[in-house]
Order: sequence, then structure tokens, then C-alpha cells
Amino acid sequence: MNPQFLMDGLIAGAMIGLGAIGVTLTYSILRFANFGHGELLSWGAYLALAVSGGLGLVSASLTRPIGPFSFGWSLPLAAIVAILLTGLLALAVDAVLFGRLRARASAVIILVMASFGASLALRSLLEFLFTSKPVYFTKALQIAMPVGAGLRATPDQLLSLGVGLLAVLAVHLLMTRTDIGRSMRAVSENPALAGIAGVDVRRVIRVVWMLGAGLACLAGIMTGLLVQIRPYLGHDLLLPLFAAAILGGIGSVPGAMLAGLIVGLSEAAAVQLVGAEWRAAVSFVILVAVLLIRPRGLFGRSA
Amino acid sequence: MSHLPASPLRPALDLHALVAGYEPDLPIVRGIDLVVPEGDFVVLLGPNGAGKSTLVKAIAGVVPIHAGAVLLAGQDITSVPSHRKIARGLAFVPQTENIFATLSIHENLQLAAAILPKADRAGRIDGLYRRFPDLARQPSRMAGALSGGQRQMLAVARALIVDPSVLILDEPSAGLSPKIVGEVFAMLQDINADGVTIVLVEQNVKAALAIARRAVVLVEGRIRHEGPADGLFGDPLLARLYLGGSHAGESGAP
Repeated sequence: MNPQFLMDGLIAGAMIGLGAIGVTLTYSILRFANFGHGELLSWGAYLALAVSGGLGLVSASLTRPIGPFSFGWSLPLAAIVAILLTGLLALAVDAVLFGRLRARASAVIILVMASFGASLALRSLLEFLFTSKPVYFTKALQIAMPVGAGLRATPDQLLSLGVGLLAVLAVHLLMTRTDIGRSMRAVSENPALAGIAGVDVRRVIRVVWMLGAGLACLAGIMTGLLVQIRPYLGHDLLLPLFAAAILGGIGSVPGAMLAGLIVGLSEAAAVQLVGAEWRAAVSFVILVAVLLIRPRGLFGRSA
Repeated sequence: MSHLPASPLRPALDLHALVAGYEPDLPIVRGIDLVVPEGDFVVLLGPNGAGKSTLVKAIAGVVPIHAGAVLLAGQDITSVPSHRKIARGLAFVPQTENIFATLSIHENLQLAAAILPKADRAGRIDGLYRRFPDLARQPSRMAGALSGGQRQMLAVARALIVDPSVLILDEPSAGLSPKIVGEVFAMLQDINADGVTIVLVEQNVKAALAIARRAVVLVEGRIRHEGPADGLFGDPLLARLYLGGSHAGESGAP
């Protein structure tokens, strides 16, 4: 077995982990499985592409590659704007759809079904705006360089891995060390008591959307950078995202990241061992196995 | 419906024709007028289903109010959301699930202190640790691992962090051993002695009447009796109110 699957798995896993954090936070705090979360990855990637393209038109020097990477300053600058815009998109969807259903105290299944609808609408809108033809942040080719232990990776891949791990560390510190993080954990456990204790639950919900969507955008940009940008980019990652969120334990940020890496590595191993056509089945097997053997996942609290 | 006698003290809490319940067409609290003067210690009594818990939850903003008004120190707080009531000085300790089990003791207190100015938070938490040394011994312990009595201490400490003017508690003795109930009630007396107005819902009638100054008896969502707590325990009126339901009140049965 070629050890390169380790590197491929870690990189894919970091992207899955970032997306899974958003899934796990919405699931634990808003109390429903948001099947529209994948679309936030796709929208994040396209928004970054649009902003980066715009910046390239303003100044061609912004598109000149930075050091060993395949992209210029236009992409990191666009990423910051796209993270904010994806957060605002999630807030807009909440305002017109999920927020109204919450106000009516709708059943969880109604919120889940609504998220399917939102997913379809957001994806169709992307296809309408950008067509379904794959696009790229950059056409530059990168050569994978040896990184030790017989593994190879491109500079873009290593950067993505590093940014992903830093983002997870930042979110973990936010959740455990700050007022808003404590408030998020409190709302996740008992929203009514959180309100009594002085937590503005509606503000916490807004922060959860912004945070989850921001991380989804980051994951979408990485997928776009390392693979390609398509309207189905996020949708195709939905099963791995849910497998990682549930394996990590609903509500656990480090759990989602670790499980993301496990799912990514398992997929990469399956590609080598049984063939690329079985890649998608791995998430499904993990999901079913966790639900049967340990439904609370690695770090989730027992019901 | 009787009123408490006029008090020289300002009212801390004032309820006007309060109607509340989970569904608008099914009110559980059905028109309550009550004035609680500053520094008072009122116990709300009544048979199961009388609406005691719903009443305090409505005051705290957890159950919707459909008509009437709640005034805190003369200010109308009827439509103030629950998270802003604590900042106004109205603290509520629910009966169950009144602490965050997945947060540590210290995090429970930090969470509640977050509405205070940053400079005051650590001092307030230290003050509560001095008052509740049991909590100070293990601040990083998960609140879910605490005993029933310690949980109540933490829930009350959490409520006291903002130095409230009114503290409302929903059956703090539920599920506790008699010894621990004694400790919790002694703590409430201390808090009241510091000037905090207390409104207490209790099923433990004898113990509650022993520490409260006034008693209010609810039956079917309405006040059937108000008066001094002292001497009410042996009074046959109390038994009639508890056993007779709506046919027992002096103000006439519907």
C-alpha cells in the first residue's frame, strides 16, 4: 500500500473536518440536521472566485503567485470577504426560512425538510449564476514535493492543511475560553436556562450561523483550490460531513475535526485497497457503524 | 380577591391582572394581582396544578403572558425578554435543570457574570465563593457531577451573581433530603436578610411557612388567600384550600 494515501487522506480530512464543525454546531445549538450546509461550501468557493476575479481586474499584480503557491494575494483577500459574505448568506437563509419555522415552534422534521429545500434552491441558483462547468482559482500547475517518509504534497496542499488546523484550534479556543463560546455551549445544553442566565439566545444563533458558514466557506475554498469548483462541490461532501460530525460527537469541535481526518484517511485508504468507486461508501459505512455501536460518537455527551 | 395590606415599603414586584399559560386559549394563570414589597419573603402555595410554577415562569419570561402586567420596582417589564430581566435585577431559579451540567462550576458562574462590566466579574465570583465555600473547593468540577444540594447552591449562586433585587425560586427543595432542605432554606433566609426580596414556590408547606413572612395560596390559577405565613400551617383554612379546590376560597367559588 502506497503511504501517499496518508497525505491525501489528511488533506481531504481537514476539509471535511472544517465543514463538519459547522454541521455539529448547528446540530447541537439549533437542534436540527442542516442538509443545506454543503451548499455553504459551494457558495463560499464561488463567492471567493467572484471576489478574487474582481480583485484581479482591479490590479493584475494581485494575481501574481505568492512564493511557492499557485495563487496571488487576490485569493486570501477574497477569502476574507467570501467568509463574511457566506456568513451573511447563512443569516439571510435563517431570517427567511429557519428563523420563521423556529418562531412557530415547528417540529425538527420540518426544519430538516426545509433544509433540503434550501439546499436545492441554493444549488440551483449557483448553477444558474455560474453554470455547472467546473472552474478553477488558478490554472497554474504545481509539482508535489517530498515532505519526508516517502510522502509528497504540493505547497497549496500543505498550506490548506495548516490553515485548516489553525482554524480548528481557533474555534476550539473560542468555544472553551471566551464568553461567546461559553454562551454557545450553554445554549446547546439548555436554551431556556441560558436565557434566564442572561444569554441572548438569538445573538448566539447568529454567531453560530456566521461561524459555521465561515468555516464552510474556508473548506469550500480549499476544495476549490485543490480540486475544482463545481455547484455540486458541497453537496458531494455532505455525507462525509455528517459522518464526521456524528463520529466526532454532536457538539464537539475537536471531535468533528478528528473525525474529519479519520473519514478522510479511511476514504483515501479505501481508494487504494478496494478502488476509487468505493470512496463514497466509506462515509456511509462509518455513519452506520457509529450509529449502531456508539451513537454519541467519540466526544459527544450521552443523552 | 384580597390584596396585601398597604406597606410603607416600595413594591419590589407588582403583578396586575396577570393572565399567562403555554397556549393563549388555555390560560393557567387566570388574573393575578399581587404586590410584593421590598425585602419581603413570600411563599406561593397551592395544590398541584394551581399555576404556581406557571406564574413564576411567566414573571421570569419563560412562559408567555397573554394579559396584564409585571412591574419590577415600578418599571413595566412585561414584554422584556428573559435574558434582559436578570440585568434589571430579577433573578429566577427554575425547579429542574437549573444549572449547566456540561459546564464547570466556575464556567456556570462566569456565564452568568458575563452581563456585568468586565472589571466587576472576578470580584463578584470571588464574593460568591466566599458565601458558598463548597463551590469554591472545586471550581473546575463539572456541574453535572454535583450532588442535589450542591446543584441548588450553584443555581442560587448563579442567580445572585448580578446582585438581584428580587429572587424567585421554583421548589428549591424538590428531591433534596430534609437535612439539605434545611441548609437551602437557611441560605434563603440569609439572602433575604441581606435585603433581597424573595418569592418562593414550595410544596414543602410546613418548612416554607416557617421561613417566609407572607403566604399566598393559589387555586386554579387565582389567588384564594393572602396573609402572614405565621400561624397558617395549623389553620384549617389551608387544608380546605388544598383539599377543596375551587369551592374553598373566601372570595366565592366560580
